[in-house]
Amino acid sequence: MKTVYFDNAATTYPKPPSVKNALVNAVDRYGGNPGRGGHIYSYNAAEMVYTVRSLAADMFSASPENVVFTQNCTHALNLCIKGMLKPKDRLIISSMEHNSVARPAYALSKNGVRVDVATVGKSDRETLESFSKLMTSSVKCVVCTAASNVTGRVMPIREIGEMCKKRGVCFIVDGAQACGIIPIKLSDGINFICTAGHKGLYGTTGTGLLISDGAYTPSTIIEGGTGATSAELEQTGVMPELLESGTVNTVGIASLGAGIRYVNQMGMDNIFSHEEELCRIMVDGLSKIEGVTVYRRGERFVPIVSFNIEGIPAPSLAEALSQKGFALRGGLHCAFLSHRTLNTLPDGTVRFSPSVFNSEKEVVSLIDTVKKFSKDGL
Amino acid sequence: MTYTLIAVSSITYAMKAKRLLNNMGYYCEVEKTPKNMSTGCGYSIRVKDDPEMISGILTKNGITNKDRMTIQR
Repeated sequence: MKTVYFDNAATTYPKPPSVKNALVNAVDRYGGNPGRGGHIYSYNAAEMVYTVRSLAADMFSASPENVVFTQNCTHALNLCIKGMLKPKDRLIISSMEHNSVARPAYALSKNGVRVDVATVGKSDRETLESFSKLMTSSVKCVVCTAASNVTGRVMPIREIGEMCKKRGVCFIVDGAQACGIIPIKLSDGINFICTAGHKGLYGTTGTGLLISDGAYTPSTIIEGGTGATSAELEQTGVMPELLESGTVNTVGIASLGAGIRYVNQMGMDNIFSHEEELCRIMVDGLSKIEGVTVYRRGERFVPIVSFNIEGIPAPSLAEALSQKGFALRGGLHCAFLSHRTLNTLPDGTVRFSPSVFNSEKEVVSLIDTVKKFSKDGL
Repeated sequence: MTYTLIAVSSITYAMKAKRLLNNMGYYCEVEKTPKNMSTGCGYSIRVKDDPEMISGILTKNGITNKDRMTIQR
């Protein structure tokens, strides 16, 4: 039995053939350590890495030197959040954050950083009011997801960015579920965009990006070799190496480059339209099934649909769907705050997240299976 | 042939400088900064054109450059 993959919010699969080719090509051609030698292998690898840096920079309206390669989005968020805040500072996060934001924030709160949670309301207006009420002069940073990894809800990032800019507050955006799907630019009032390379950008796992507008320089939480100023014990102060200690993931970066080219070639609008249409079919289908709740509160969404069947815990439903050949994620999706906001604790929801490679036929087949489970039980 | 080595702050800036100058039609290659030019490891760009003019272009484009060395090859 072939299993249909609908867990692209966790990581996209399959990857475009060009990504696989880039990966294999990188192992063959870019064997040197970029920025660590004076030989041709090192230079060739460095050229490739810089090319991908430039591609990423173009996508987010950044300068190449302000593009930092990370292991994943969580790594990028930790570098920013922990690098920007010190005891007595104030931080605002939204109530729909992933643990990649909530946990660093919680860790900082134990070290004297005051953390406030802005409630995400039914409408963007309500959400903006929540942020506005908390935005006092002592706030140093705001972190907000561009789109929820549980419901796909798109947050009013531009408006929050404007609010931050007016008050001189650093604005960090978690773009894990949005980048490659909807356009996000530093010019939206964002100081740092953190994202995964292996989701909407179609790179391989082990890739992530931290994109800065250059207005703030985070303190380092990791120091080490950067290929420059090696005679000094002080970490280099120059971006991106400041935040890129140790050898970068050369083959992963090559795959990310191919992924970004793929997104550019397909067109973000086309990718979004296809995936959103699959979500529309899914929402329509689920809405007609008795006992099914769909969690789609908000105004705009990236292609994610969360749902539950009354009386069936989400992890059990996801497991049963897996046995029928559908890969969806059930549970809390590493997003305790979001599920608390949605009132879906302790079992969470089942999450459907298609990619450009899924078809309408696959979605209809999934809806039929959910219908059977709702009627007959697992 | 006389070249000038101009030290920049990192491999990223060396690559940025190379792309910039090549796109403007100037010869530019990246190489390791020699030991007698600065301490520790680092990268420089090798250029053939007037170093003052090249330095001005780099500075204008946010590429910090300080140490320079003329070499005969």
